[in-house]
Amino acid sequence: MNYQEGQNHSFLEATARERANLLVDEGSFTELLGPQDRMTSPHLPALGEAVSFDDGVVTGVGRIGTRPVFLISQEGRFIGGAVGEVHGAKMAGIFRLALEAYEAAAKAHPDNLDLYRPAVVISFETGGVRLHEANAGLLAHAEVMDLIQDTKGKLPVISLIGSKVGCFGGMGFVAAATDAIIMSPQGRLGLTGPEVIEQEMGKEEFDASDKSLISRTTGGKHKYIMRDCNILVEDKVADFRRALCELLAQPYEKVCACRRIGSYELVKEQMDLVALAAELNPGDAKDVWRYYGNEHPEQLPELETAEFLRVVHRRPKEVR
Amino acid sequence: MQETQQRQWDTLRQDTARRLAAAEEAVGAGKLVKAKDTVKLLEAVIHPGDKINLEGNNQKQADFLAERLCRVNPEKIHGLHLVQSAIALDSHTKLFEKGIAEKIDFSYSGAQAGKLAQAVQEGKVKLGDIHTYLELFGRYFIDLIPRVALVAAYQADKDGNLYTGSNTEDTPVVVEATKFKQGIVIAQVNEVVDRLPRVDIPGDWVDFVIQSPRPFYLEPLFTRDPALITDAQVLRAMMAIKGIYAEYGVQTVNHGIGFDTAAIELLLPTYGEQLGLKGKICTSFALNPHPTLIPAIESGWVKNIHCFGGELGMEEYVKARPDVFFVGPDGTPRSNRTYAQIAGHYAVDLFIGGTLQIDEDGNSSTATATRIAGFGGAPNMGCDPHGRRHASQAWLKCGAESGTAEAALGGMPRGKRLVVQLQETFREKMAPGFVERLDAWELKEKAGLALPPVMIYGDDLTHIVTEEGIAYLHKCRSLEERRAAIRAVAGYTAVGLKANPKETRELRASGIVKTPQDLGIDPAKANRSLLAAKNVRDLVKWSGGLYQPPGKFKNW
Amino acid sequence: MALQHLEFSYPGIPGASIPDQWFHSGVVGSGDMEVLLTRKEQQGKVTVKVCTPVRGFEQVWDKVLERFVLESGCGDLELEINDNNATPFVVGLRLRQALQDARGGELA
Repeated sequence: MNYQEGQNHSFLEATARERANLLVDEGSFTELLGPQDRMTSPHLPALGEAVSFDDGVVTGVGRIGTRPVFLISQEGRFIGGAVGEVHGAKMAGIFRLALEAYEAAAKAHPDNLDLYRPAVVISFETGGVRLHEANAGLLAHAEVMDLIQDTKGKLPVISLIGSKVGCFGGMGFVAAATDAIIMSPQGRLGLTGPEVIEQEMGKEEFDASDKSLISRTTGGKHKYIMRDCNILVEDKVADFRRALCELLAQPYEKVCACRRIGSYELVKEQMDLVALAAELNPGDAKDVWRYYGNEHPEQLPELETAEFLRVVHRRPKEVR
Repeated sequence: MQETQQRQWDTLRQDTARRLAAAEEAVGAGKLVKAKDTVKLLEAVIHPGDKINLEGNNQKQADFLAERLCRVNPEKIHGLHLVQSAIALDSHTKLFEKGIAEKIDFSYSGAQAGKLAQAVQEGKVKLGDIHTYLELFGRYFIDLIPRVALVAAYQADKDGNLYTGSNTEDTPVVVEATKFKQGIVIAQVNEVVDRLPRVDIPGDWVDFVIQSPRPFYLEPLFTRDPALITDAQVLRAMMAIKGIYAEYGVQTVNHGIGFDTAAIELLLPTYGEQLGLKGKICTSFALNPHPTLIPAIESGWVKNIHCFGGELGMEEYVKARPDVFFVGPDGTPRSNRTYAQIAGHYAVDLFIGGTLQIDEDGNSSTATATRIAGFGGAPNMGCDPHGRRHASQAWLKCGAESGTAEAALGGMPRGKRLVVQLQETFREKMAPGFVERLDAWELKEKAGLALPPVMIYGDDLTHIVTEEGIAYLHKCRSLEERRAAIRAVAGYTAVGLKANPKETRELRASGIVKTPQDLGIDPAKANRSLLAAKNVRDLVKWSGGLYQPPGKFKNW
Repeated sequence: MALQHLEFSYPGIPGASIPDQWFHSGVVGSGDMEVLLTRKEQQGKVTVKVCTPVRGFEQVWDKVLERFVLESGCGDLELEINDNNATPFVVGLRLRQALQDARGGELA
């Protein structure tokens, strides 16, 4: 597949390596700790589980315009994109490189830093911690969370969510802590995965075989209405790339304005949402959509993305 | 002479009258019975040892009545003999655990296959026979006549007329066999209305109607999500289209359930179109309303489809395409499994499906040592109907190619049904698709069956399609040649590893085996991009929004 | 329980390697595999290392790999495979695709 053809492909069906190559400018991606380094999991062989030369994550650096972009792209086909020791260390390493690059750029371009400011982009496809190496996986989550805090005030961290597995478990927290989230309607974002909810709370509470319900609860359209997702795009590699480029072209402060957490106002906003949820006691996401002024909530899932974006009413910044 | 005059000729009718009187005493007069009185009604009209038909198959289920039958007092009602298409619900196996039922004659078991095998081994179930649908329907009129039938319908009116609509399925045959032998018919319905769209079952054949607290269960068994079709399935589908459908000009078809046949349906408007086959193949089907057939229908490939049953979510689409589907004067579809099975048996030239295991002689089975899966309708289509007398191009060509016809019939020309198995040499977890001995043999021993349950016998099978190639088995002149042809396409399985390269070359030279290369197909280029729809949402778009997939398949 | 490591070697065609030093292809999904192809001048030999959770299929691996080397006409190569229950058909297909892509220079 060449670069131009690849842009027209479904983001949902693209592999982690294809996404990494296609999100940055043509030919600019350099993979770091790629397959040729054969950095496989030290834990899986003893358990008789298959290993992968990249441990399920593609990491590296590319360019978008004048700016270095540090990429983390997870592969859901390998153990559901779960984060183990090597996978997590590669993620953390990318943040450290990006922070170093920021210091260098700040020194070299003090006057027009926005043009040269590095960015971290995470193309999520994961259920969170890899249970086979859970301690290391959990530590990696904490480390990445910490590093995200180190980036604040320095460089943007952007989440892309539109791959098959979605973004669940601890990585759902990580995504929420980044500066901005771009999703497709096919993207899924949440903490506890649907199967686990059903297992813990029963089928009456959440029927994990009802894919439509999963979409209404964790899908891109719902997250866009709720403002957990900042930008909603069509399921196409080119559309994710375009949204990413446009976002990075904004001044850094505007990107920071997309955040969900990290300030007193934002905490208050989240707490108001919790209170509203308790008051509304919605039986389905559609109840919330109606509350925010969507008269025919049952039609929203059926709409094509462009039409959806034209007609949808989102939650206002002030919760009520 | 004397004896004849003394004999009473209506004992069945009298027995039924006594049962109906008992029912009136238990739940009051009238055809409409409240859901809460169901157990009382069943205890009044059913007697120990009765033959009972609990309607259900691989699609709709009289699940409410089945569940209530589990609640009758086993001291009053026990030793029932179930004669029914399917043992598919938890409540069906529960009847045996509770001792309410003790024997089963059936056709299909689906999700209960494991539990049934276990119950048989533990001696909790006396297994009668495992049938094909048509075969069992036949026995309803000879030696398995139901005394009481518990059926399901969408709607009833106050007179007991039933509307079974797109899921009419087995109801007509079950009700007719029961009622015309003085039996009792009880229907669960989703709603009672003043006026039905049309009458599918006349009210005077129905004794009781119960409005179920929830709609009858309907399994969307025939829906396949195109997103899950693999490249290997695309390859086999391309091989089947080019090497069989096109080769024989197959117009009339039945497709078994599965991703392989779904791939064929989705390749017709793309690959089939490229090969210029529109109008030349696949014009008429005996087939459930497969959602994956929508693109082919919308592109004008299909003239008509007769359905065994209805598929959840396809109701509006079928209704809006009366030129293609069978739709009543009221504008809503009807299915009838008996007629569709007859059509599938006699009126189609090709059956194509998948299986779990094929042995060295070409016998195939979906049974495993721990599952009694049953047959459903497949063997009625996966065989050469010996009563067929009408000719068609595909049937004649297949017959003319037969390597054994002359030895059997002399010079008398006769056609042959194309019976095709699409088989992956290895399935998930490296389970081999070709085996030296079918698991069906082990099941026969364990479950005490008279025969190993074989879905399709080797002498009926005409073609096997695997990633390695197509074996044209009917062309073989001997069992030894047939075995060699099977080995040649069995890949790296224990069966395939016995293939002799020289023998395989000879079979290729004589056209008995064709590899993808022989067919002009490059396996590296067989991929999902050829599918006319890549996911369920694409199918909805093709249907103009008429197809309404259930939540299980609707990921938006 | 532990993962299995299998090694194979076949006579190939001297010089019939890949243009770059190495080439990677595939994803270790369920029922799938990845392969890393490395140039290695070894008198045409093709050496293969397989890492797999599946036991008892050494003979099948040998046959599939032997056929791939023979039919593709490659040589002077080392193949390292991480397998996760790929069927023989998938293995053959992935190897052919990998070699084709390595020689055609398409985006991985």
